[in-house]
Amino acid sequence: MSCEGLNPIPQARAFRRSPDEVMRLARMGCSHPTRLSFLRQLLRRMQAEGWRFDRPVWQIDAKGVGRAVYRAIGPTRTYSLVAFAHDLPPEARSDRVIATAWDATFALFDGTPDAADLDRLAANVPLQEAGRISPRELSLSRANRSVRLFDHVVERLATGVQPDAAMLLETGYLMRTTAVYGSGKFGAADRASIAGRPELSAPFQAEMLSVWLTRAFTVDLVEHLARTRGGSKAARLAPDLRRALGVGNSTGLGMAPFVIRHPVLLNNWMLAREEALARVRAQTGVGAAELAGFLAALNAAQANAEIWTSSHDIQRAKLADLREGLAQISDHVAQHWDQNTAHPWDDLWRWGQEVLPLEGQEALLAAMLEPHGALIDGLGDCMDANEDAYFPINGAMQIGELRAILQAHYDWAIGVDYTEPTQCARFWYVSEDKLEPRLGERHQEPGAARELPLDTGRQAAALWQALQGQPEDMPVAHLLLETPEHRPIVRRAQITARHPFAEIRDNLIAAQMLPIDILRCKLAFFGATRFDPRSDRWVRISLFQDAPYPEEMNGGDHEA
Amino acid sequence: MKHDPLTDEVLALSLSEIAALSARATRGAGRNWGEAEEAAEAACWLARAGLDWAGALLEVLQHPAPQTDCALRIGIALADAAALSSPTRNAHLATSSPCFLLPFVARAADQTGQKIRLTVADTQVVLAPGACPLIIGPICISRQARVTITTDQHDSPPCPAWPQTHHGAIRATEYAQLTQLMMAFTVPTSAHSQAGAGAQEDDND
Repeated sequence: MSCEGLNPIPQARAFRRSPDEVMRLARMGCSHPTRLSFLRQLLRRMQAEGWRFDRPVWQIDAKGVGRAVYRAIGPTRTYSLVAFAHDLPPEARSDRVIATAWDATFALFDGTPDAADLDRLAANVPLQEAGRISPRELSLSRANRSVRLFDHVVERLATGVQPDAAMLLETGYLMRTTAVYGSGKFGAADRASIAGRPELSAPFQAEMLSVWLTRAFTVDLVEHLARTRGGSKAARLAPDLRRALGVGNSTGLGMAPFVIRHPVLLNNWMLAREEALARVRAQTGVGAAELAGFLAALNAAQANAEIWTSSHDIQRAKLADLREGLAQISDHVAQHWDQNTAHPWDDLWRWGQEVLPLEGQEALLAAMLEPHGALIDGLGDCMDANEDAYFPINGAMQIGELRAILQAHYDWAIGVDYTEPTQCARFWYVSEDKLEPRLGERHQEPGAARELPLDTGRQAAALWQALQGQPEDMPVAHLLLETPEHRPIVRRAQITARHPFAEIRDNLIAAQMLPIDILRCKLAFFGATRFDPRSDRWVRISLFQDAPYPEEMNGGDHEA
Repeated sequence: MKHDPLTDEVLALSLSEIAALSARATRGAGRNWGEAEEAAEAACWLARAGLDWAGALLEVLQHPAPQTDCALRIGIALADAAALSSPTRNAHLATSSPCFLLPFVARAADQTGQKIRLTVADTQVVLAPGACPLIIGPICISRQARVTITTDQHDSPPCPAWPQTHHGAIRATEYAQLTQLMMAFTVPTSAHSQAGAGAQEDDND
C-alpha cells in the first residue's frame, strides 16, 4: 500500500536521500538491520498483542529423534511450528540446496495440527523439496546442527557445567537453517491468501515466526539431550548465554533474483527506511530518552562489531570500516555534536556522510532510527505491496514520457556499453538440476541464450535505443506491438516512475557485480546479523540473536 | 514435484507455482520474456477464476512461433490498447484459444472501467472491472473460434464472487508437458557456477 497521503510528517520529505544515492549496490551491500526489520516487527506485534506460547508435543527420544510442536497463540489465530528431529550421519550433512537430509525439518502450520495433520507432515516435511505440503502450511524449512558447538553444549550441560561463552559467541547459533520456503513453494499457502491477516501483512512474517520458534527448539533440544545423558546432574543453559544464541542461516543466490523481480516491494522496503531516516533528520531537538537510546544502540553496534567475524576478504575490510566508523561516531557524538541546532539529527547525519565510510554511514542510520520507535514504527505497515496492481502496462503512455522516465531514473544504465566484455560478463539463469537461480560467465560458459531477464540496465539501454527516432506522441502500445521484447523493461520503467526506489541502479551482469551486496540488503531487512559471506554469492548469517524467547515475551524487560 | 505419467492423476499447484511454471514453460516454448510474464499472469487469473488454466496455456503454446491468431499476442495487444480509446467495441477476432483471451479482456475492463462482453459460439462471458467472470453457456470455450468483444450493454446478472480458493488443478500429463517446455529454458549447472555457491564440502563445522 502507499502511505504517502497519510504521512503525518510531510516536512520530512525534504530530508530524504535520493534513489541515485541509496540504490547502489556498494551502499546496499552495507545495509544494517533496523527496528523496521521484519523480525523486529514480528516480535513487537506479538509483545503488544500479548501472544501466548506453548509446546503441546515433545516426542523426542534419547538420540534426539522425534517430533515437537510449538504454538504461537495470537488474539485471532494460532500458528504451530511442527519440528521433526532426525539422526543424520555426518557425511550427509550439507548446507547446499542439493542436500537431501538434514538434522531437523520444519513446517509452520496454520492453526493447531491434529494427529492426522502431524502424520501427513511427517510423511512429507522431512523430504523437503521432494515432498509436498498443503495450503494449511505457511512455510517449509530445514536446519543442520552447528556440530562442534552443538556437541560441546550438550556435553557441558550434561555434566552440569555451562558451555564455553567465547565458543558460543564465536558461532552464535546451535543450528542453521539452509532454506526457509514460503509463499506457495511446494504447495504451501500463497502469499495472497494470508496477506490480509494483520499479523502476517508485513513481509516474511510467517517465515520469521518459523525461524524464531526454531530457535526455541534448538535450545530445548540441547537441554533435552543433556538431560538424557546427564540425568539429574544436567544443567540448563544460563539465561545470558541462551539469549546470545540466534539461529544461523546459509543462503545463496536464490535471494537475489527475488529482490530484482519484485520492484514495488523493494521500493516499499527502501522507502519506509528512507522515510524513517528523513523523519529523524527532520526532528528539531534531541530528547533525553532519544539520546540515551541512540547511545545504547551505538554501544550495542560496537559490541556486535567486535564479535562479528568473517573469513572473506571483502567482508573483513568492511568490518574494519565498520569498527572504525563506529569509533568515529562515538567520538564525534561525545566531543563535537552540537545538539542545540535547528536540526541536530540532520547535522549528525550530514557529518557522517562527509566523514564516514559507507559501512559507518549505514550503521549510523540504524542507530539513529533505534530510539525513535514512536516516530517511525508505523512505517512498518507500508512495507508490503500489492504487486498485481502494477502489472498492467500503460499502453497509452507516450514515447516522450517514457523517454523522460529513462532519463530521470535510468541514467546509470543507458550510457553503458554493454558490448564491452566486462559490462556483460555474467548472465543469470535457472539451473536444470534444481531449478534454482545461478550466475554464469557469459564468455566462458554456454547457456546465455536462456538468460533470465535480470539484466535491467542492459534492457533499459536497449529500450533507449529503440526509442530513438520514434515520434514523441506515439503510444507505448504501438511500440510494444512491434517490439514485444521490451515489455519487461517498459513495465519496470513505468513502475519506477511511481516507485523511485524500485530499481537497483547498477549493472547486474557486470564482471565486478557482487551478488552478496543484494543478499546483504535483503537480509538486513529480515533483521539478520553477523553477515558472513563465504564467496561472492553465498553467506551465513544469524537471526534473532539477543531476542527474547517465547516464555520471555510477556512481562519481560526486553523491548523487541 | 513427483508424479506418475502413466496414471493421469490430478495435481494441485499454488498460484506461485502456477506463475513460475507458466512463465518458464512459455519462455521454453520460444516466446520472449514479455510474453512469458503475461502468460504467467494470465494463467494465475484463470486459476483464480476457477478455469482450466493449464489446458488453455498448453493450447496457446502448441504454436511455438506466435501466429496471427495467437490468443496471447491478441490479448496483450487488447490490454495494452485499452487505455487508448475504446478498442473493444465490436472487435471481431479469430483465435485458436479464446479462453486465454479472458484475462486480457478483464484487464481491459479494469483499465476502461467498463463491462465487456466476450462472445464465442454459444458462450458469453461478462467481464466487469475487478470482478470474477460471469460465464453464460458452456464453459468449454477452447479451440479455434471467432470471438466478438463488445462493451456490455445488456442488463446482465451480477458477476459471481471470486472463489475462496483458486483452481490449482492440473493433470499429470499436462504438468509433464509444461515441465518439458520449461526444461528447454534451463541451463545445466556448470562446475564454475557451482563453485562458490555453497560450502564445497560438508556442513560439520
